[in-house]
This record gives sequence, structure tokens and C-alpha cells, in this order.
Amino acid sequence: MQSFDLATYYPIFIFLVFVLGFAVTAMAMAHLVGPARKTPVKQMPYESGMDPVGDARQHFDVKFYLIAILFLVFDVELLFLYPWAAMAYREGNEALLPAELRGPVFVVVLVFLATLAIGYVYAWRKGVFQWR
Amino acid sequence: MTHTLLQTIITIVVMMGVLQGACAYLIYVERKVAAYMQARIGPNRVGPFGLLQPIADGLKFLFKEEVIPGNVDKLLFLLSPAVAVGTATFAFAVVPFGPTSNTPGEYQFVIAPGIDIGILFTFAIGSLAAYGIILGGWSSNNKYSFLGAMRSTAQIISYEIPLGMSILGVVLLAGSLNLERIIDQQVRDGWNVFYQPLAFLLFLLAVMAECNRLPFDLPEAEQELIGGYHTEYSGLKFGLFFLGEYTHVITTALLLSVVFFGGWYFPGIVGPESGIILKLLSIWLKALAFILFYMFIRWTIPRFRFDQLMGLAWRTLIPLAMVNLVCVMLVKEFRLSLWLLPPTSLALLLGATVLSLKYPQQPRRRLLTVAADGQPAVTTAR
Repeated sequence: MQSFDLATYYPIFIFLVFVLGFAVTAMAMAHLVGPARKTPVKQMPYESGMDPVGDARQHFDVKFYLIAILFLVFDVELLFLYPWAAMAYREGNEALLPAELRGPVFVVVLVFLATLAIGYVYAWRKGVFQWR
Repeated sequence: MTHTLLQTIITIVVMMGVLQGACAYLIYVERKVAAYMQARIGPNRVGPFGLLQPIADGLKFLFKEEVIPGNVDKLLFLLSPAVAVGTATFAFAVVPFGPTSNTPGEYQFVIAPGIDIGILFTFAIGSLAAYGIILGGWSSNNKYSFLGAMRSTAQIISYEIPLGMSILGVVLLAGSLNLERIIDQQVRDGWNVFYQPLAFLLFLLAVMAECNRLPFDLPEAEQELIGGYHTEYSGLKFGLFFLGEYTHVITTALLLSVVFFGGWYFPGIVGPESGIILKLLSIWLKALAFILFYMFIRWTIPRFRFDQLMGLAWRTLIPLAMVNLVCVMLVKEFRLSLWLLPPTSLALLLGATVLSLKYPQQPRRRLLTVAADGQPAVTTAR
């Protein structure tokens, strides 16, 4: 069994600092180097040469909301599956799951997937996946 | 296994340089490929064969005026390109770009070696790119941007699911999310693409959609949405969006070669005696092959309609990925031969093809007839 060592994660944080530094520098450079001559026409939103009518932030279709809910359902389900997938079938001296638990875990995961499949079929029959 | 501080910093600086250089030259390659596929010559004015074109483009990005339209939400408008490029680069942290080994003290070609959450980290950070897009589209206060951002977000979150699910089979085989360990397992058993051809196909489609590459580039569909979410961006901020997109392409191409094609492992290139150069060549040539494949696809297949795009993710890729996962699970549970998996994948693929030919997806739209005098408007579903 491997021990968990938080120290292996430190390069990630250093990388994060570099990435943030790069993004901020790039934005600052763009602001400082490029010219800035504002004219009223340039300040308008670009709508293919037409004067914009109304605000862009209008009501939008509810189906986007539906997709977001479905995404949440399936993504959370995926998050449950990841730890199981990483540990379930390790062999030999790396095995994390006691031998007597393998059967029950298998059944539990099957039940979990079956529940998900039922939900999926229900959503399909309800026509949720029909983008219209 | 972990690097020293100095090694880490050098690796990070070199890799950020390599990534940006590679992005710049990928744009050149993309333009050249596009040109040759359309019987044109492509960029050839700056330097020999136009080789200095990326540098000229970069300078132009820098010295162009940055127009910030008057009605935008300034903070979010400025934040969005930074988020887009930041998340795309940050996701690279755990992806191996050269030989890795379990021998302590040896240099590992990863920015952060030995991270156990490995591929989960890449997905988690990579999906944050949706924020860059939706912030950009929302803050621009432009109808094209707004529509593009909505579409793009719907597309990215839809393809996130087959992306994550297709990888689960590989994770079951390797028993780890750690990308270096996934390579080790492939050195033992052979490339995953032989055991998981279906998962490879699903993963390939999903990453192409995640990168907004052409058959899936609905968010930026030039003909209908001008530029999609980056319509209002100019100068270096537009360049940052581009950089983020190409970094994403490189990351996913490397991921494809690491997860399904054994990373640096090639039959014959195994032990320490084959040297670093060969292993580096092996992994980068695989990645380059995938990048070129993306580019060829771009000029081969026309763009999807939006309902087809969503239908592909929700009604084809997700059930296929789920069934594939169950198959791998059964094989592992009952300790069957791994060679049962490729015929299963093939059968699933054929089954899906037959089903989709038998029940083709009809475009269902509500047809609205405009109200005539004295009569109400009628909505009919077709």
C-alpha cells in the first residue's frame, strides 16, 4: 500500500504561480504596449455593422438549464465511480480491497449503475435528450 | 520520485516556453495544412516558407489596439482570457511529456510527478475552461458572444461526461489514476488501444468537442456567430484565447498518446538502454500524429447541426461509454482474458451503428406559423 505524501503536490502550486504570473503579465503587457484611441463607434458592440437593438442579456432557452442539471447528475455519478475504479482491481501486494469485500463491492457498483441506467432511460423517454 | 525545487522550476519554465512555441507553430502548421488541402500555398511571405509568420503574428497581437467596448462588464471581460489560457496551461501539470520511471533519483518528464489523482486533475482543471468561455460571452454584452457562450458551455459540459466515462475502463485496467502508472501498466500488458478501442474512439470524439475543433466548433461557427464568445476581443486578449485553445489541443493529444498508446512506450523502446531521445521522440511523434489528425478532420468533415451535436453526446456516446465500462468491469471481476475486450468493443460499435441506421434521428422543430388576421398562431411539432 502506498503512503500518501502531500509533498508530491508542491510542483503543482509552483506551476500555478507561474501560470497566474504569465496570464497577468500578458494582460498587463497588452494594456501597456498597445495604443488606445477610443472613438464612439469603436465602443459599440460589434453586430455586423448594425446599431445594436436592445440589451444582449435577454431571456434564454430553458433547455440550457436542463442540460446543466443533467450534467450535474452524471458528473457527480462519475465522481463516485473514480475512486472505485482506481482501487477495485489492484492485484497482489497493492490490493486495497479485502478479498471478502470484492463480491459485495461488485454488486453495489452494479446496483449503482443500474439505478443510473433507469434514470437515463426515464430521461430519454421524457424526451430530455431531444434538442428542439 | 519528486523533483527538487530547482528541477521543478527549470521544468516549468522550459515547458511553458515549449508550449507557447509549439502553439505558435501549430497555428502555422494548421494554416499550411489548410492551404495544401485547399490547393493554396499558405503563409509564405515572412521568412523562408513563411516560417517566421508566428513571430510576426505574435508581435501584431501585442501592438494592436485593445478595444474594450463601452458596455462590457470590465472586470469579467478582462478576467475571461486569463482564465481561458490559465486553465488550459495549468491542466498540463500532470501530463507526462517524456520518459517516466519508477527508479528513484531519476529525472521524470512531468511537471509534477507522482500525483495520484493524475488524470482527474487534468479533467477538473480542463473543464474550468468553460468559465473562461461563459465569462467572456456574458461580459461582452454582445448577442453573438452571448449565443456562442451558451452553446459552447452546453457543448463542453455535455462532452465532459463521455470524456470522463470512457477513461474509467482504462483506470480499471491500470488500477490507478496516476498517468505514469497507466504507462507502466501498458509497458506490462501492451497499449490500451488494443483492449479499449471503443473507449479510445469515445475519448477522441469527446476531446475534439472539448477543444472546439471543427466538426464540433459550433461555439465559433464563423458563418452564423461571427466569432462566438470572442467576438468582442481584440489584440493580445484574443491571442490568449487562441493560445488556450491550442494548449488544450497539445494537452489532449499528449493525453491520447499517454492513455491509449503507451506514452513513451513503443515495442522495442522499453528499458533504460534505449535512451531518452528515442522515448521523447516516441511520445511527441504520437502526439503530433494526433494533432495532424485533428487538422485533417477539420478540413474533411463539415460542421454538425446543434441538435445532432447534443444528440451524439447524450444518446450515443454516454450509453456506449456506460456499457463499455460494465464490460471491463465484468472481465476484471471474473478474471477473464483481456482479449475478450476488443471483440466486445467492436460488437458494441456495430450495434450502435445498426441501431442509429435503423432509427435515424429526425430533426424535431416546432414550426410556428405566423398569426393571420383574426386567427391565433399555430404551433405544430413535426
